[in-house]
Amino acid sequence: MTPAIRRRPFLPLFVVPAALVAIAITAGLAAILRFSLHAYVPGSLDVGGFTLDNFADLARPIVLRAMRDTVLICFETALATLILGYPVAYALVRTRSALLKSVILVTAVTPLFLGEVVRTYAWTVVLGNSGFINATLRQFGLIDRPIQFMFTEFGVVVALVHVTLPVMVIMLAAALAHIDRDYEKAAQSLGAGPVRAFLTVTLPLSMPGVVAGFTTAFAWTFSAFATPQVIGGGKVGVVSTLVYQLGLSSFNFPVAASLSLAGLGLALGTMWAVRRAARPLEAMGGH
Amino acid sequence: MSSRAADVIPAADRRSPDRPTPDLATSDLPAARTARRGAAAVLLDGVLKRFGTVTALEETRLRVEQGEFLTLLGPSGCGKTTLLNLMAGFLEADAGEILIGGEQVTATPPYERQIGIVFQNYALFPHMSVARNVGYGLRMRGVPKREIAARVEETLALVKLQGFADRSPRQLSGGQQQRVALARALVIRPRVLLLDEPFSALDKNLRGAMQVELKEIQRRLGVTTVFVTHDQGEALSLSDRIVVMSAGRIRQVGTPDEVYRHPQDRFVAGFIGDVNTLPARLETLSGVRATVALGDLRREVEAAALRDRPPGSPVDVFVRPDHLGVRPAGEGGTLPARVAALVYQGSHIDLHADLATGERVVVRVPGQGALATHAPGTAIGLAVPQGGLVAFPPE
Repeated sequence: MTPAIRRRPFLPLFVVPAALVAIAITAGLAAILRFSLHAYVPGSLDVGGFTLDNFADLARPIVLRAMRDTVLICFETALATLILGYPVAYALVRTRSALLKSVILVTAVTPLFLGEVVRTYAWTVVLGNSGFINATLRQFGLIDRPIQFMFTEFGVVVALVHVTLPVMVIMLAAALAHIDRDYEKAAQSLGAGPVRAFLTVTLPLSMPGVVAGFTTAFAWTFSAFATPQVIGGGKVGVVSTLVYQLGLSSFNFPVAASLSLAGLGLALGTMWAVRRAARPLEAMGGH
Repeated sequence: MSSRAADVIPAADRRSPDRPTPDLATSDLPAARTARRGAAAVLLDGVLKRFGTVTALEETRLRVEQGEFLTLLGPSGCGKTTLLNLMAGFLEADAGEILIGGEQVTATPPYERQIGIVFQNYALFPHMSVARNVGYGLRMRGVPKREIAARVEETLALVKLQGFADRSPRQLSGGQQQRVALARALVIRPRVLLLDEPFSALDKNLRGAMQVELKEIQRRLGVTTVFVTHDQGEALSLSDRIVVMSAGRIRQVGTPDEVYRHPQDRFVAGFIGDVNTLPARLETLSGVRATVALGDLRREVEAAALRDRPPGSPVDVFVRPDHLGVRPAGEGGTLPARVAALVYQGSHIDLHADLATGERVVVRVPGQGALATHAPGTAIGLAVPQGGLVAFPPE
């Protein structure tokens, strides 16, 4: 490399925004860390002296249950999103019809522009006791009493899947678009029918995208707040809603802060484990 | 040397005799091959393909003989890849029938056609070892494991890749990847081997070596091969027969020598090999010969393409650079010209000269002598051969 190439005068300029974000996040995390290490003074927003009791407090059953439920909901959501998103992404990448492509893009991706809160409230209209699903089922006489979707884990997962789907579709589509169609053609010329060609060639080659999409959906869901808060209505406890309750209902900032950090640790730990477990799958992609 | 083969449907059988279909029944095959009777390896009967309003392939008839090495040659967009994809089953014909080994396959999906394809980019499965790549087609056919192992090994030996079985395709050079692709296509014992510009990704030296090797393997196995290329050099050196295509139409089918020396139309004459176009005037037509006037020179050409032209009408005479000669200026029987540039080509010199009428011609002069004796600006006489000329009406 010549010095002329190594010198990139625009580089500092590009680093500035990233550096600002990093500084802001670090500052926020530092403030949370400070809160988590100081005693809670009931009736006051100020904190007491240094203590580790806040973390010991997290061993309570309600917190542990929220952590377990969070991981479960994230897994369920990521898995359901993957199963729903894969065919959509595949169709998006492989269809020759410009119309179908546009329809998929609009339906799968525009929800991104609506924001989590709007989409979640839309789901209350669908999932409510007199909502679209229950009203329709009752219309046809299939049920007498409404099925309970709201305030259940199932309802939360359904809404979270919708919220997460666009990201999954985009990530899977990016991965699938990189797989040369000639691989499938080669497989077919060698005697593999469309299903076998997909299972033996396209699917393994898309594994890096599957793993990336799954972990992203997982992290995306872990940090979701509005959906479990509104659809769960306090009955489905996840880490994010519990932090909110502790911090802004009980004004117990120190325990809320320690739970935030524990949640962050849990998210990073689970994702690390997921990626590790998926390493053989990713290797299948051969990239 | 070789005999005429009825390689296409007789003209009487054609569905639309009014259509300006090129005359395909002029191709030679080695005598040994024509002796082998029976169904054609591939038969395209009135096959037509449109993409929207664009006709990618006009109604086409083509017969590929058993064991033959047939090349589809033409510039990009000429329909050769469409034709290949139709044979492979990746495209469905809008009209006509396709038969492979006498069996109707027009509606058969690619995975049931029993064809081997080598793709331009090889399309080796990156997540499988060389052996698993080569064995893929056998696994899909449910061949017993032991037989797969034996046939994979045997085929890797055929392409000289013993010892590479456990490598990943990414660890191989371009030439080795191509051998794997060839082995993968051959191991299934295909009824037809389709090659889609397989040499375009290789550098020049490797390309030559791979071409020789491919030809050897093809001859040894006797596998019917359809080869798609835009490189006329490749087509001339590898093929038993060449199908020259342009604008979705077959222009000529013939042995390399036929398409090189007896092009049937202007496109073929200009596309195969380097060629000069000299403006001339038609003088007389008599039987299969015609006389044209090139300046003060009279030359005989084949009359077929000029039949409907009145005497005196302009024609273009096509002549190869290596058929022209350089003589001293003013020598009888030459065209006056002036040297414009000399291009050193190693074994020969390309002498570019301007005719008195303004046309630029290239003369291939063997050796290096011309560099010293014919500096740019020198007046020369251009010798035009008596035979081997073809002429077509101007565009």
